[in-house]
Amino acid sequence: MQCIHVKENDDQSRDDKWVVQLRKGCLELAILGALWERPLYGLEILRLIESDSELIISEGTIYPLLARLKALGFVESEWVESGSGHPRKYYALTAAGRERALEMAAMWERFSSSMGRVLAPLKGVTQ
Amino acid sequence: MSEPQKKIEEYLKEVRTHLRGLEKEQVAEIIAELRSHIVERAASAGDLTVDGVCAALEALGTPDDFAREYMKDEVLARVETSRSPWRLLDSLFGWATVSAAGFLVLILTITGYFLGVVLLLVALLKPFHPATAGLWALRGTAADLELSVRMGFGNAPSNGQELLGWWIVPLGLLLGCGLIVLMTRLALWCVRTYRRARPLRLRG
Repeated sequence: MQCIHVKENDDQSRDDKWVVQLRKGCLELAILGALWERPLYGLEILRLIESDSELIISEGTIYPLLARLKALGFVESEWVESGSGHPRKYYALTAAGRERALEMAAMWERFSSSMGRVLAPLKGVTQ
Repeated sequence: MSEPQKKIEEYLKEVRTHLRGLEKEQVAEIIAELRSHIVERAASAGDLTVDGVCAALEALGTPDDFAREYMKDEVLARVETSRSPWRLLDSLFGWATVSAAGFLVLILTITGYFLGVVLLLVALLKPFHPATAGLWALRGTAADLELSVRMGFGNAPSNGQELLGWWIVPLGLLLGCGLIVLMTRLALWCVRTYRRARPLRLRG
């Protein structure tokens, strides 16, 4: 049996580019937010983000992104043996990561509320 | 080894091939995390099956795509920490092999460095070839005028005029060094900007 790898470029080209850009901009904050309460491993982060938001990350992207956040000092990682028989690599926010998450969340709040004011006339028109 | 495990190991082997160039420990860490992800995802519905493994691998993308994300990060990190023009060019070559943006920045940087080196050489050769080295305005057969930076080897062109005289020495040194510094900073700025804004793969 052969596994078939589907390239995602075709899907992406059909996507509304603006929505894709918007999601990309939020991804770092979403990961830092997901790790706020407790350390999580890669697949858990993916599932949490996908269940709580409209951000759907390509599974192959999350690990290089986590490695980048680790290189920037925002997260740290630790291997933990799991009950399911294989070890999992857990990621936790560092102090710098918590600071960064708070900064980004504050910026997000400001941006969101200012956009809300600008878009107020559209309320009721859009669904 | 069971069939699902064989599939996983085949995929990991290919990823490992595409990660060539990274440090051994880093590759081992990436592969271990990837194996853990595939096993966990494939077995989430119960036993490890070929269908489950295939679905997990498909969601990850091709081994090439998966490894490329790491390779880009690695080469960009290397470029960003390069300080000397030689190391910068070496790292830019690495970036150019995995990205069109890297290729463009490499071409731009090579052009800038080339011009900078030529200006420096003309300035340094002027004392040895005072009559011929410098910036020349050459008149062609028609009315067109051509500017040419000449190192001074050979005879002075009969149809031209040297424009800067001894001023080429300070100007060449200043502009040559300036251009090399400027191109280094520009390339590093391009890398930093690209690294922060670089695209991530997202699903619809």
